[in-house]
Amino acid sequence: MTNPPSPKRGTALRLHRAMARIWGSDPRLRGWFTTNNNNDIGTLFLIVATSFFVIGGILAMLIRAQLATPNSAFMEPQVYNQIFTMHGTVMMFLFAIPFFEAMSMLLLPGMLGTRDLAFPRLGAYGLWVYIFGGSAVIIAMLMGLAPNGGWFMYPPLSSAAFSPGIGADVWLLGITSIEVSAIATAIEVIVTVLRYRAAGMSLSRMPIFAWYILVVSVMILTAFPPMILGSLLLEVERALDWPFFQVENGGDPLLWQHLFWLFGHPEVYIIFLPAAGMITTILPVMARTNLLGYGWVVAAAVSLAVLSFGLWVHHMFTTGIPHMGMAFFSAASTLVAVPTSIMIFSWIGTLWKGRARMELPMLWIMGFFATFVIGGLTGVMLAVVPFNWQVHDTHFVVAHLHYVLIGGYVFPMVAAIYYFMPLLTGRTRFFKLGEVAFWLVVPAFHITFLAVHMAGLLGQRRRTWTYNADQGWTALNLVASIASFVMAIGFALIILDVAVNAFVAVRGRRNPWGAGTLEWAAAIPSPAYGFASIPIVKGRYPLYDDPHLALRIARGEGYMADTSRNRREALIVTTARGEPSQVVVLPGNSVMPFLLAVVTSTSFLAPLFDAYIVAGLALMGVVALALVWAWGLGSRADEGLVDAAQGAMLPLASESADPPGWWGSLFLLLADSVHFGSLLFGYAFLWSVAPNWPPQSYLQPQLWAVALALAGALALTAGPRLAVRVIRRSRAAWPALGVGLIGALALAAAAATVMLDRPNPAGHAYDATLWLLAGHVGLHTFLTIIMLCYLAARVARGYASPNRIGEARIVALWADFTAATGLVALGAAWLPGAVG
Amino acid sequence: MIEILRLSLPISLWAIGFSAVYALQGLSCSRHWPDDLEARPVLLAAWFVAIAVQALGLMAVLYAPSPSRFIQSTAVAIAGTALIAAIWTMMPVLAASVCQ
Repeated sequence: MTNPPSPKRGTALRLHRAMARIWGSDPRLRGWFTTNNNNDIGTLFLIVATSFFVIGGILAMLIRAQLATPNSAFMEPQVYNQIFTMHGTVMMFLFAIPFFEAMSMLLLPGMLGTRDLAFPRLGAYGLWVYIFGGSAVIIAMLMGLAPNGGWFMYPPLSSAAFSPGIGADVWLLGITSIEVSAIATAIEVIVTVLRYRAAGMSLSRMPIFAWYILVVSVMILTAFPPMILGSLLLEVERALDWPFFQVENGGDPLLWQHLFWLFGHPEVYIIFLPAAGMITTILPVMARTNLLGYGWVVAAAVSLAVLSFGLWVHHMFTTGIPHMGMAFFSAASTLVAVPTSIMIFSWIGTLWKGRARMELPMLWIMGFFATFVIGGLTGVMLAVVPFNWQVHDTHFVVAHLHYVLIGGYVFPMVAAIYYFMPLLTGRTRFFKLGEVAFWLVVPAFHITFLAVHMAGLLGQRRRTWTYNADQGWTALNLVASIASFVMAIGFALIILDVAVNAFVAVRGRRNPWGAGTLEWAAAIPSPAYGFASIPIVKGRYPLYDDPHLALRIARGEGYMADTSRNRREALIVTTARGEPSQVVVLPGNSVMPFLLAVVTSTSFLAPLFDAYIVAGLALMGVVALALVWAWGLGSRADEGLVDAAQGAMLPLASESADPPGWWGSLFLLLADSVHFGSLLFGYAFLWSVAPNWPPQSYLQPQLWAVALALAGALALTAGPRLAVRVIRRSRAAWPALGVGLIGALALAAAAATVMLDRPNPAGHAYDATLWLLAGHVGLHTFLTIIMLCYLAARVARGYASPNRIGEARIVALWADFTAATGLVALGAAWLPGAVG
Repeated sequence: MIEILRLSLPISLWAIGFSAVYALQGLSCSRHWPDDLEARPVLLAAWFVAIAVQALGLMAVLYAPSPSRFIQSTAVAIAGTALIAAIWTMMPVLAASVCQ
């Protein structure tokens, strides 16, 4: 415990004014389009995600209205198909993931003791792509053009033959653009957690939510690429008739199920783990104690995240998979109960050792416990293969997933909204509608979905638009529908309560719950700059260690309190120990993310209207704007060490070998690797088990093409590496970059030979897959060529030096990836023909 | 980054091993599997390799400890989980029918 500081309000106020000027958004309407501050972007994300939740909720009510009575004429079956498809799509893709991303954007910088996320413009770009993609999906629904094949879009039902029109395309393109947004946010979050923290915040001192969100972000990078690949395959099949899922031409619809559930099952944990992170953050504060078993909870979160990737086939138990295959996934499905239980016992133990107060956030956590444990147990039931066969595609599964997703995600997020409301709005809750809402929502939820469980056990199939009175489900469905409307009223009250309190409740004091983590040390509501100085922490609960820390931060008694350089500066620390290592200059307000999102979304959505030329132009616009974006970063002169305060002289990130952009590229390439791995998996799957294989002939490798690929890959790897070395020695880089450029062209030429040798990708799934493999090489060599040319221009204009080497290292990273995956892709294409 | 790898690598190896054994089982039921090659011994061998890799991972974490006590204890817990996961999730190769 330290002595209270003497008041120096003048210093704090001056610092606040200077910081607010530097970090502030543009005024008026323009500010909404140019801001990249985490508070603004997070708030917009939150509002939009909540709007989609309302839309998804209305769709749910329409479903329950239809099912309330037998032989209901409320909806036509065609409309019902669109409604249930859109309900699942909106809730899973447009609400659940963006909502916790919004919370992360709003809270993470404060929890970590930094001023913003690592890539503010990337965050803004992700927001706008999400808004455009999500809006397109909703508009399509309002126009009666929504998809109608269920939210997991199984072919052949979703193929062009059985789902004509653009409904399925809206889903495939709209959702893929939203996944791009999620990947952008995930990269931003990972780099922030690993590098942007308070001084002294080692990994062992990180707030527990940061661990959870780090794990979830890595999951997004590894789970979404298979889905993106699946969407690409299905869209290409629908648009160009490349037969990836058509059995008669060597495709297999089961490939879609594998790719979808490789994403879909981890998705459940991607949704659950942030909620668990919120509970683990809130519950100890409500229990007036510290978290029991911090290390065990981290271990459980990491284990659960990885184990969840071994569960995807349990969604496919009825597809005729051999017993051994099913047993693998049944065993893995039971195993995930262990880390989940560790978390639950940690929460119970924390409650046990503390003195819980039953405030509103705690009520919702109690609601979570009661609900999620039931959802978890029915999950274990579904992991047992014979039971799974019995209830597959019944309302029992519908009830289970709602127990997990509403109980395991929505309830904790409502708790989080109420818990963080004083921080986000600066106001203390006054109107007490929240308690009423709780007692409406939780009991009504259980009545609804216990009845749905029972209806499922009695045999009611999901996705059937009506039923007969003599089937014995009438009373259960009526009860479920009435209770669901009560639940909807409860959720409406929550939104009303939050909105009213956010705007008109009385101003509150800082840290009303008495929490120990850093986000409560900021002024409330959090200003654009977050902290006036970067705090120095010595424990896991800095505010318990030093109750006057907030004042010290406000008075500039931390790092980076100097505003004389008049730019947005933040601190980068070493990953493990949290020692200050670099000063990063964050970008100012810019309309660039908005414009880039416009052209990106256009490139995704234009094919819906067969406007392929527009899509192509938009793609060129994406490249051009990305180059303009990147060109605005960096500087043409070395600045040397910067005074970071506390006696620390640190290099700028732009004058370091591993700037944030290098880390961001590393994690983007992780996602790219998984995408490529999924493509190889799909190829191997079709080659090994798809009917109507082998094709009439395999591609025969030509020796000169193999040599071209090997030489190209070698040059592509060597050139950029050599460029890094010569830039470090202040020598001319263009010969080395030229070698890299020639290597990329050679590799692209080798890939082109594959397409030229097999000119008809619509003939057989084998040919289509070869085109995708060659396309992967072509796309990456194209990107690498652009990067090499860009780097050459940057070097020529003085943006590189022995210190400013980061951009060259990023290009080298991409070149290595392109060369390695290029060789593997072409090797995979040539291998069957080579071995006969 | 080494500390992050220390936490994540053993359990990631489980994911790779699990996928590899599942892929091998799929391959053993495919048209490319030699008729005269019994699948179960191959799958058992793959399972033992997967367990051995996890055991080595756990030993590596134990014998090359992190300077951070938190990282060390958490890494041991995760590597132990990975070893248990390798034993449990691939155990069906012992008895379940391979291609039926």
